[in-house]
Amino acid sequence: MKKRFLATLMIVAMSASMLAGCGSSNDAATDNAAATDDAAATDDAAATDDAEATDDAAAEGEQKLTVWCWDPSFNIYAMETAAEYYKKDHPNVTVEVVETPWDDIQPLITNAASTGEYSQLPDILLMQDNAFQKNAISYPDLFVDLTDSGIDFSQFAAGKLGYSTVGGRNYGVPFDNGAVIACYRTDILEQAGYTIDDLTDITWSRFEEISSDVQAKTGYYLLSERTGEIDLIMMMLQSAGASMFDENGAAVIADNAALKNVVETFNSLVDNNALLLTQQNWDEYIKSFNSGSAAGVINGCWIMGSIQAAEDQAGKWAITNMPKLDGIDGATNYSNNGGSSWAVTTNCKNVELATDFLNSTFCGSVDFYAEILPSSGAIATWAPAAEADVYGEPSEFFSGDAVFKKVVDFSTKTPSNNTGVYYYEARNAVATAITNIQNGGNIDDELANAQATVEAQMQ
Amino acid sequence: MISLPKKIAQYAFLIIFSLFSIFPLIWMAIAATNQSIDVIRGKMIPGTYLIENYKALIAQSDLWHAMGNSFKYSIVVTLLSLIVCSLAGYGFEIYHDKFKDGLMSVILLAMMVPFVATMIPLFGMMAKMGFLNTVAGFVLPSISTPFLIMLFRQSARSFPHDIIEAARIDGLGEFQIFVRMFFPTMRSTYAAAMTITFMNAWNNYLWPKVIMNKPETQTMPMLVSNLTAGYVTDYGMLMLAVLFCTLPTVIIFFCLQKSFAEGITGAVK
Repeated sequence: MKKRFLATLMIVAMSASMLAGCGSSNDAATDNAAATDDAAATDDAAATDDAEATDDAAAEGEQKLTVWCWDPSFNIYAMETAAEYYKKDHPNVTVEVVETPWDDIQPLITNAASTGEYSQLPDILLMQDNAFQKNAISYPDLFVDLTDSGIDFSQFAAGKLGYSTVGGRNYGVPFDNGAVIACYRTDILEQAGYTIDDLTDITWSRFEEISSDVQAKTGYYLLSERTGEIDLIMMMLQSAGASMFDENGAAVIADNAALKNVVETFNSLVDNNALLLTQQNWDEYIKSFNSGSAAGVINGCWIMGSIQAAEDQAGKWAITNMPKLDGIDGATNYSNNGGSSWAVTTNCKNVELATDFLNSTFCGSVDFYAEILPSSGAIATWAPAAEADVYGEPSEFFSGDAVFKKVVDFSTKTPSNNTGVYYYEARNAVATAITNIQNGGNIDDELANAQATVEAQMQ
Repeated sequence: MISLPKKIAQYAFLIIFSLFSIFPLIWMAIAATNQSIDVIRGKMIPGTYLIENYKALIAQSDLWHAMGNSFKYSIVVTLLSLIVCSLAGYGFEIYHDKFKDGLMSVILLAMMVPFVATMIPLFGMMAKMGFLNTVAGFVLPSISTPFLIMLFRQSARSFPHDIIEAARIDGLGEFQIFVRMFFPTMRSTYAAAMTITFMNAWNNYLWPKVIMNKPETQTMPMLVSNLTAGYVTDYGMLMLAVLFCTLPTVIIFFCLQKSFAEGITGAVK
C-alpha cells in the first residue's frame, strides 16, 4: 500500500516536472511577449519616472550611476578614477561601484533576464569579452544599443571591437586589452644559448625546437598550460583569424583546417617536452612560472601582473610576440585572450548620462588612461591612449622594454574572432576532444564528435 | 587490554589521518602570515606578513561590516528555522496519521531537488513580492528545510509517548508539552540542528548574492569570493580572509561538539 502510494507520488512528481519542461518553450515565448509588453509599459512608466527623477535630480542636483565590476586593483580602480575625472565637469554625478565577481554577474543576468526582473541590474556592467555575444544574442532586451550614441567606435582595435558587436550593432565599450604576449626568462634562454630575438616572429615548429632544446639543457620548460584547459588552443586559433563558429553562428569544429593544425601543434609540443602541463587549478599554473619550473608564459597581457609578483625575478623577463601556425593562410603572431567591455543595461534610467560618462572617459580621455596605467596595468584598447607618454616608459621588470606600447601595437594586429552564443560549450567540447586525442583517439573522429556535441547543445 | 604494538599502530593510523584532515586548516593559518608569492611557492613556515595582510584586507574590503552582516543573518535564520522545523518535526511524529506521513514523503522528495533548479522561479517570486534587497528575501526560503524537519521527526520518534500522556493527565496543554517536556529533553538535537543551520546560513553564498546585491549587505563568503575575482590574487590576504570566515563556525562547532554528536545519533537523556 505504502509502496504504491510512493510510486504514484513519484509518477506525479516526474510528470509534473516533464510538463513543466515541455511547457517552458511556449511559456518563454509568451513570457517574452509579456516581457516586451512589460518593458514597453515600464518604459512609459520609466519615462514619467524619469521626468520626475530628473525634476528631483534637478532639485537636489544629484545623479547616480551604478556599476558592476570585479577587480579592486584593476577595473574597479579604473572605474573609480573615471568617476573622479567625470566629476570634475559634472559635480552632481556620483558613480557607485558594486564589487561583483564575474562568476556572479552571469547568474545574476540569467536570473534577471529569465524572470524579466531587471530592476536589480546596475546601469553599467563589465562583461567578459568571451561572453558578450552570448548575452547580447540570448537576451536581446539586456543591453542598450550604443551604435548611435555618439561614441566613435572606429578608435578601437577591430579585433577587440568584434567581441561586443552583434549584427553590426555596437553594444559595448571595449575596456582592457587581452592582446597575447609571450614572456620569456632571458637568463634561462642565455644558459641554453638563445636570445629573445630568436623567439620573435617565429613559427610553432621553431618554438618547439628551441623549447625542447632549452628543456634538455636547463630543465626549464618554455611554456606551461593547465591540464584540460584550452586557453592556449583558443589563442593559437584566433592568431590565424579562425574561429569555432562561422559568421552565421554555425559550429565549424570538424573540417576546420586551422583548428586541426592547432590541435596537432599543441599535442606535438606536449609530446616533445616543449610544453609543461600543470595540474588543473589556476594557482598551479601561476606557480609554474613564479617558482621556476617554466621559463616562459604565453597569455593575455594581463598575466604580467602575476609574473611581476615574483619580485626576485625582476629584469630577467622579456616580452615578445607569440609563435604563429605553420602552413595556414592568414596565420599571424598576434592573438587575444580575455579582456572585457563595458555595457549599458536596459535598467539604466538615464542612458544619455551613462553614454556621456563612457564617451568622455573610456572613449575620450588620454589623461585618464595615462593615469590608470602605471598602478593598475590596465592597457587601453582605445588607440589614442597609446599617445600618452607613460605608454612609452620602460619597464624595469621586463628588461627595460616599453612593454605597454608593445602590447597596444600587438592588439592592433590581432585578427578578430567569432565567439557566438555557444562559445563556452564549444570550448568544453574541444577540450574533451583534446584529452581523448592525447589518450590515443583519432583527431578527425574526436573533432567530429565535438562538432556533434556542440550541435546537439545548440538545438 | 590491547597489546602495545597494536596500540602504536592504532595511534599512528589515527595521527596520520587526523593530520590529513587538519592540514588544510594549518596551512591556511600559515599562509595568512605569508606574502602572496611565498604562498604560491608553497612556503610551509609562518611568516611575518600577518599585519600587512590584515592592513591590505581592511583597505580593500569592509571586513567587520561583512562579519556583522554574516552574524546577523545567520542568527536570524538559525533561530527561526529551529523554531519552525522543530515544531514541524514534532507535529509530524507525535500527531502522525496517513496524510501527514504522505506529506512528509513529499517534503523528503523536495530534498532531492537541487537549489539551482528552483533558484530562478524563487527569484521571480521574491521579486514579485517585493523582497529584493531585503533580509526577509534572504531568510524566508531558508527557514524551513526538509533535512531539519526530518532530523526533529527522527528524534521525536525516540521521545517517550508516556511522558506526553502523563503531562496531558497532569493538565498541560499541547503547546506547553512541547515547550516544557520536548524542548528540554531534546537539547542535544537542538544543538546539532543549530550547528548545521548556522553553518549552512553562514556559508550560504549563491542565494544571498542573488537576492541582496548591495555593498552594504555583503556577507563573509561574498567578501572572500570578491578577493579571488581579479586577474592577480593576493593569496596571503585571501587566506587571512578565509581564516576570518572559518573561525566563527569552528568555534561554534567546538563548543557544541559533544551535543552535536549526541544529537545526530538521536540520543535521549
